[in-house]
Amino acid sequence: MLLLLLLLSGVTYAQAPTYTNSVGMEFIRIDTGRMIVGRFQPPYPVPDDTVRGMTRPMVMWMGDGRPYSAKEFALARSMAERDAMPGFEVVISKPFYIARFEVTQEVWQRVMGTNPSVFQGGEIGDTSQHPVENVTWEDVQEFLRLLNQVENTTRYRLPTEFEWEYAARAGAEGDIPWSETQRVAQLGGKTTRPVGQKEPNAWGLYDMLGNVWEWVDDFYNEKIFADPVPPATGKLHVLKGASFVGDVKNATWFTHAGGPGNGWDVGFRVVMEIEEE
Amino acid sequence: MKRILSTLGRSILHIQLALSILTGCTTKQHNEDEQRRTPIFNGRNLDGWHISRTSHQGTTGNFYVEDGAIVLKQHPYGQGGVLLTDRKYANFELYVEVKIDSFCNGGIFLRSTESGQAYQVELAVPGANADLFGERMEISIPGKATAIGSVWKPDDWNSFRIRMEGAVPRITLWVNDVQMWDVQQPKNDFIAGATEGMIGFQSHWSAQYLPTPGGFNMPGAWRPDGAHRFRNIRIRELD
Repeated sequence: MLLLLLLLSGVTYAQAPTYTNSVGMEFIRIDTGRMIVGRFQPPYPVPDDTVRGMTRPMVMWMGDGRPYSAKEFALARSMAERDAMPGFEVVISKPFYIARFEVTQEVWQRVMGTNPSVFQGGEIGDTSQHPVENVTWEDVQEFLRLLNQVENTTRYRLPTEFEWEYAARAGAEGDIPWSETQRVAQLGGKTTRPVGQKEPNAWGLYDMLGNVWEWVDDFYNEKIFADPVPPATGKLHVLKGASFVGDVKNATWFTHAGGPGNGWDVGFRVVMEIEEE
Repeated sequence: MKRILSTLGRSILHIQLALSILTGCTTKQHNEDEQRRTPIFNGRNLDGWHISRTSHQGTTGNFYVEDGAIVLKQHPYGQGGVLLTDRKYANFELYVEVKIDSFCNGGIFLRSTESGQAYQVELAVPGANADLFGERMEISIPGKATAIGSVWKPDDWNSFRIRMEGAVPRITLWVNDVQMWDVQQPKNDFIAGATEGMIGFQSHWSAQYLPTPGGFNMPGAWRPDGAHRFRNIRIRELD
């Protein structure tokens, strides 16, 4: 009876774990929760040739195997401790839907009637399932306006940086293990790749890392990580997730970058708000 | 014996004369070259330059001007970065004086993209100093500065003159007026086919944000509080 009521009230789709809209975009429901954002505890070398907190030996590039001096060890430690930050708690208080994939060239074409992507057709072949790229944050706003119009709603928007990071981490507290980066992140190669070719994250989202940088809604604060409250104004917007020309160093959910990026490796994914339940 | 000395004396005089003519020519040529180059760093602030906000080396490096030179340091600990010109250049001759701390890995980026893919002249002592590499891209033919040891002034200013020309680029490097290498690439190695880009200076990352399973750190890539410095940066655009 309850199910029937929900069906009749038209709310069911907003509670389902997945949803596909009229232009073929698939969404996954993300539930509420908490996470610590902006924790910075850089590993530093210690005299026994390892790095604090690490099990692998550090990679030394000190030419001819020159070791750190006692003074350098002490300086590294004091600088790392000086710059360390505990981070802050972020509460995701409203559930939301986020697209399973980056917006593809096919979806952009369907909504906008154009395809601005640098990597399309030609020698690469059919790129309809590659992410759209070469789109500015403002271009994306126009896409969202038209998508909302097509779907007769106002619920589509870019994710906030915290929504994006919460979805990308999928429950992870620490940084991504590099073995996992290799499995889930679309890195390497000379072009974008079709979406969804690597493994999804724990919540079923593809290409949160690699392939293309993804615009989020927030202005960029020109700091290594976000502030608890994003700037109200700014010149640039935040980019998350790194692109196929990134590497294991920055293809992590923590990386907090800013536009404009290279253009040809900058795209986005969409959030669909859930109506009050 | 006296005769020998006299002959030797004349020879030395001739050598000195020849040297002075050569030096004179070199200086004259040098001054003319200098006049054709436009400064791209004003010696006072970073107007005309910006930090890459998408480089994997870092996005918040401590880049500032001191005593008429651009200084690159990491910030925060372990995070380097790339400083880029606002303008892009296609064919050019770049002149820059460089002073680098040892055990700090950096480089001069040529035709860099915004996130720092570039042909790179390596700056690293000890290391592959003044070699030509690709940064975040494979290049067809590297350059090897085998003679760098004979001209390099450690812990001092060294002049770099770099000529880059052609959609399929030919790149030539002189350090302290001595040619190190002259490399004609067989193809344009940029992944999106760029034939122009920014001039950049790099400070390498050395630590991750947090200890990461399976990851490694590179404390040897940039010694704590180390710096690279750049001054008298001039460019002559070629037709």
